[in-house]
Amino acid sequence: MGVMLPAVRDGASLNQALDLGYRQVLLERGSLLSIVGPLAGAARQGVAIFVNLDAVEGLAPDSAALAFLATDLGFSGVLSVKPHLLQEASRFRLRTIQRIHALDSTGLETGLHSLVSPAPFAIAIAPAVAIPQVMPIIRSITSTPVWGTGFISSAEQAAEALRAGAAVVSSARIEVWRDFSRTPVS
Amino acid sequence: MATRTTVTPGRPRAVDGSMSRLLEAFGHVPVAAVIRRGEDLPRALASQVPAVFFLRAPAFHLGPLVWAVQARAKLAFVHIDLIAGLGKDRAGIAFLARDIGVNGIITSHSGLVAAARAEKVIAVQRLLLHDDLALPSAMSALDHARPDIVEVLPGVIFPLVVNEIRSRLPLPIIVGGFVTEPAHRDAALERGALAVSTSTPELWP
Repeated sequence: MGVMLPAVRDGASLNQALDLGYRQVLLERGSLLSIVGPLAGAARQGVAIFVNLDAVEGLAPDSAALAFLATDLGFSGVLSVKPHLLQEASRFRLRTIQRIHALDSTGLETGLHSLVSPAPFAIAIAPAVAIPQVMPIIRSITSTPVWGTGFISSAEQAAEALRAGAAVVSSARIEVWRDFSRTPVS
Repeated sequence: MATRTTVTPGRPRAVDGSMSRLLEAFGHVPVAAVIRRGEDLPRALASQVPAVFFLRAPAFHLGPLVWAVQARAKLAFVHIDLIAGLGKDRAGIAFLARDIGVNGIITSHSGLVAAARAEKVIAVQRLLLHDDLALPSAMSALDHARPDIVEVLPGVIFPLVVNEIRSRLPLPIIVGGFVTEPAHRDAALERGALAVSTSTPELWP
């Protein structure tokens, strides 16, 4: 069974995801600092919070920011295209998710071959809609768990990515969050 | 590797950076061959594709490859973002346009589109669809840069966004990225793509 990871961008979407019962969210866009209170409150109640370091505003890509996320806020993990930032994040016991763009075979293979030690907790393939098509390439290179982000606009698309082998799929659409639990994942 | 066999080997004197020839050629054969490795080039040269896209070629050994393409009456495009050894700047574009004589350049960067147009080569700007949240700003950047052609990647996303793109960007569209089967090609062409770009030789007619 795969997991839906609601991608939130502000306090309203965070509350919508929590109201639907989700216990994990991805801060994908927007200013982290403007909703730091609600995010920290959710983390204290055991909600796993992941942050896309490449897209959120208000954080520097450095160890001070990572220490803040891990120690002060109690977040669970971070996503980035930058391997060295993730290496640094692993020192703070954050789960590290290496973002890799699946735009063409050359770029995907370059991204997969550039995975560094320590191995990331997972790789996040963007766009997630490409996962059914590219999973054979991914699995020929790495057995790291696969997450998917980007262009998931229906529960059916999410289910397809999960059926293809993704462990986690993210969507920014509340309709998908709502419908997802009704879609059986086989 | 095939090279020009004229008395004075070298680039053609007048480089054709005109869109009309490319549009007409894609009207007959709507496929561009993407060259990932040098050994793929002979098959592309022998095929009917009217355009060849070089990814990752070494910049300072690119001339003979480009001229071999042009000697077969095909147009040669170089992906400047991926090419090794060359500055991703105006001087790099000028080198490709003047010294090598490419017909066009491919880039993801709006700033390089203006430089390519100033050098009178065809500017292909990539629209990278990895994140739906980033699509509006990516389309604004393209709308502002006004390349000659948009290359949309990956192909699997194109049907999902074709209406949005076409309403915002009245530009010819090439669809690339994981176009590995005839069905992928047909899906793009049926939805109005000018051509597909693919590194799968089986799709080079």
